[in-house]
Amino acid sequence: MNGFSPSSHLLLTIAAPLVGAVIAWLIGSRGVSAVRQSAAVTTLVTLALAAWLIVRYLADPATASGLPYGLVEFPWLTEGIFDVRFSLGLDGLSLWMFGLAALLSVTAVFVSWDAIKDRPVGFYVLLLVLEAAMLGVFAARDVILFYVFFEFTLVPLFFLIGIWGHDERRRAAVKFFIYTLTGSVLTFLGLLTIVLWHAAHANVVTFDIESLVDGTKIHPLPMTAAGGWLQMVVFLALLAGFAVKVPIVPLHTWLPLAHVEAPTGGSVDLAGVLLKLGIYGFLRFSMPMLPEATAVAAPWLFGLGVAGIVYGALVALVQTDLKRLIAYSSVSHMGYIVMGLFALTPVATEGANLQLVNHGLSSAGLFALVGMIYERFHTRNIASLGGIASKAPWLAVFFMLFTFSSIGLPGLNGFVGEFMILLGSFQRAWSGVSPAWQFAYLVMALLAVAGVVLGAWYMLWAVERAIFGGSREPPRTSGHGHDAGHGGHGGHGAAGTDHDRCDLRWYELCAVLPLAVFVFWIGLTPATFLAPAAPAVRKATAAPAAAFAARMQAETTATVARITTP
Amino acid sequence: MNVTSLETFSLVAPEIVLVLAALVAYLGGAFAGLRFGWLVAAAGIVAAMSVTRGQAADAAFSAGISVDPFSTYIRWTVLGLGLLLCLVQSGDLFAAAVSRGPGLHRGSTCEEAGTFLLLLAGLSLVGVAGDLVLLFAGLELVSIPTYILLGLKRTDARGQEASLKYFFLSLVASAIFLYALVCLYGIGGSTDLGAIAARLNAEATGRTAQALLPLAIGLGVVGAAFRLAAVPMHFYAPDVYEGTSPGNAALLSTLPKVAGIVVLARLLALVGPAASPDLLWRIVVVLAAVTMTVGNVMALWQSNLRRLLACSSIAHAGYLLVGIAAAAAPSISPRLLTTGGLSATLFYLATYAIATIGVFGAIAYLGHRWPEWTSGSGPRPPREEIATVDDLDGLSGTNPVAAFAIAVFLLSLAGIPPLPGFWGKLALAISALEVDGTAAIELGSRRAWFVGLAVLLVLNAAIAAAYYLRIIAAMYFKTTKRGVQADGGLSAGVAMLVCLVLVGLVTIRPRSLLSAASRAGESLVPHVAAPSANLPDPTDTVAAR
Repeated sequence: MNGFSPSSHLLLTIAAPLVGAVIAWLIGSRGVSAVRQSAAVTTLVTLALAAWLIVRYLADPATASGLPYGLVEFPWLTEGIFDVRFSLGLDGLSLWMFGLAALLSVTAVFVSWDAIKDRPVGFYVLLLVLEAAMLGVFAARDVILFYVFFEFTLVPLFFLIGIWGHDERRRAAVKFFIYTLTGSVLTFLGLLTIVLWHAAHANVVTFDIESLVDGTKIHPLPMTAAGGWLQMVVFLALLAGFAVKVPIVPLHTWLPLAHVEAPTGGSVDLAGVLLKLGIYGFLRFSMPMLPEATAVAAPWLFGLGVAGIVYGALVALVQTDLKRLIAYSSVSHMGYIVMGLFALTPVATEGANLQLVNHGLSSAGLFALVGMIYERFHTRNIASLGGIASKAPWLAVFFMLFTFSSIGLPGLNGFVGEFMILLGSFQRAWSGVSPAWQFAYLVMALLAVAGVVLGAWYMLWAVERAIFGGSREPPRTSGHGHDAGHGGHGGHGAAGTDHDRCDLRWYELCAVLPLAVFVFWIGLTPATFLAPAAPAVRKATAAPAAAFAARMQAETTATVARITTP
Repeated sequence: MNVTSLETFSLVAPEIVLVLAALVAYLGGAFAGLRFGWLVAAAGIVAAMSVTRGQAADAAFSAGISVDPFSTYIRWTVLGLGLLLCLVQSGDLFAAAVSRGPGLHRGSTCEEAGTFLLLLAGLSLVGVAGDLVLLFAGLELVSIPTYILLGLKRTDARGQEASLKYFFLSLVASAIFLYALVCLYGIGGSTDLGAIAARLNAEATGRTAQALLPLAIGLGVVGAAFRLAAVPMHFYAPDVYEGTSPGNAALLSTLPKVAGIVVLARLLALVGPAASPDLLWRIVVVLAAVTMTVGNVMALWQSNLRRLLACSSIAHAGYLLVGIAAAAAPSISPRLLTTGGLSATLFYLATYAIATIGVFGAIAYLGHRWPEWTSGSGPRPPREEIATVDDLDGLSGTNPVAAFAIAVFLLSLAGIPPLPGFWGKLALAISALEVDGTAAIELGSRRAWFVGLAVLLVLNAAIAAAYYLRIIAAMYFKTTKRGVQADGGLSAGVAMLVCLVLVGLVTIRPRSLLSAASRAGESLVPHVAAPSANLPDPTDTVAAR
């Protein structure tokens, strides 16, 4: 299949969900099962295409040197100052996120298999459109195209939450939309400012991200009072959108609401992929284009990351709603990623980049399983659940697996990322900062370690109450009452079939099994996943890391000078 | 420039065709049926389009008429919008014809169609006017038919209030604008715009010019603000829109805005390089900032659909002013190849008008709905006109096509990518950020003003999303038992679908429209731009990559 060029392969992968959406819409009159089958086939085909593309990417020696793969380029709006291109390509930064988006879309379809009865056509069409937007945003190589996909992901998710969500869905949908939109319009202005600055100084109008990265190296945005601190201003503008997306702690309030009200499929995509867009934005734009400003902001964002870890964990600890608990655990885990990213050491940033995938797998898995629990017991209240392990052992197994992945059990994927982030952060705290910062950095790093303990506490405590222990709420599908001591081996017959009905069905297994495979795969051979991304991450973070080191060096020298001079 | 009168006639041939069609509609109305008037109107517009197409696009001056890319762009906009509005307006006809309600008037459609054609002719004349008198005459030819259309459509108290309110305020605005023209005449000693510009350039520091120019600018901007529904002449819009039909509301929210933009653009071309350039952009920046914020904040609290859209049209007037402000403060960095502010405004105007006419077309098409009623609870109450946001509840179930179309239009107005409204806001934001693009952002500097304006622009877009989403949420997230009648007539539905197709086209190929707008803007306010040789050829960059 050498005739199948990488470019058309990439384009086909992104277009496949859209084609599937049209097909799902056309056969909508044939009923729920036809629609969901077509959606499942579409996402599986897309996943196969994406997987094959990733294999081809890894096999291509040129990509190891950082060249983007599968370039697609059409002019879109080329007129006057505009040189907007429909330009796509994969590189080390986007490779795994691209694959993750394809993988989680399959999960999103299968978790909705039985849950969505009302207007299924619209649901699956929106889910597929969302998949196309998610694939597109990671492949975009043009600033405006990136922004188009970045914003467009909001629209399908707005409808998914607002139509198929739970009780407070309307408020959640609108709040989610307005909150993220407000942040990202400022990001938009920041990106335009970079483009215009580059155009004015390099005398070339380009919206191409790579050219802008190279161009801002030659003509950096001013970071002086005379230049109006333009670089810092632009950094803050970009931060507004990315921090809301991540979310970084004071801006996280939309997330629990949106997650709790969203249908399971929407939660999976939201937690698994869309939260990562913020971090991806930092890596793609802020860090390489605005290194000095990143270096100035890094300690504060590092601190906000730690605040998110601790705050998210503490709030998760007191939750009574299982889905809300996992939503807050997302806040906490995204805090690790922010912390690792702004530690600005190679180990920490690479760990943070890997942790994007890890968190995508574990949180998507947990949200999927919570959705399945809700379908069975019609409650997400931890106090009303219990004894799931005896009623649905496989569900319990997977829940335990993703819990362990989430709290970072060695051997599973979460451990690798978390360990690298903490290791890198301690490196930074120990030897990478000036004496004035060292104490603060050490305290923050230690707090982050405490966050690991807190994370294990709230997750395992929730598991203990919800999955094990006595049964409190009988499954609605069963006509029998189950008392606390009722094990899996006692009375067969009618009770036994109830147990069978209660455990994972084939489509639910399809939803979580692929994630579980990757949980082990990444956990056991992390190098396979770290290596392709490492050069790109290092390239993106080299400039801010150097700027940070220079800044710390200057501060140290100043301190030494102050001490030595009488 | 010696041009024979015959050539002058040929320059305004499209307007003459429109007036002739209006006469046919007026006279033929006595003999023909209801539908005849709007058929004539549509035919007249198409004929005017073909005449416009036949005209040479290069600049031609004659006796106060300038046919250049700018006026051609305005002509095409006017005629295109006219055709769409024609469809929406004739939709109103059916709503009126089937309604036995007291407020709506039956018949008189041929007169309406003729009046509408006169309005278009006036607007088209405003576009080509290169002379103060012709400009004012054109504006009056826009205003007077508007009064008649407003008065004809509804005869209940609210409709009368709306038309009277519009009438008086419009008179005041015209008077104010006339003062501005008087001042310009005082400066230039001529009614010809070119002569006035020449005089302004020649003696920019002269005492008369010093005294009169600020006055002319201020009065002119206020006069234009009425047409745009911009602060400080914005407050009539919600009442008037509420008190008229959807078709008239569509008309009011688009055509007068075109007139306002033309007036501002001409004013800009006149004084741009002259004496006190700082004054104009400062006024427009403040007006733009206040207008969009006021419009959006007002819209947040509206429950009546037409009031809400009126407030949103105020906000969009503010966005339109952003480009005008940027054009009034030409960039000092000539190295940048720019798409100037005026081009951005002209582009935005088209994207806004398509989406707005689409929304009003959809509302006109939906017409009435049944009130809450169960059999056995007395006689069935009469149908209600669709007026509030709540009336659209559950539309996605009862009329999915209309719901989808309205959602797309509203998302475009909100500026969600990749819809046309996004491209428009992108052009506006770039034009604002470009002003002094290389200078530092210091407090009080021109750059700071415009960066602040750009920030306000995008934040307003986010505020606006809140109320647009409210409508979308009503249509998609709520359910209802009250069926929608969809009795507004097929033609309004066709207008809605045509607008949907246009939105799709601009989404995929924003380039065609933007390059037309760009040529139009350049021709009127030439921008300090580098020769295009400075930039690498686009095909070269592709190859290099």
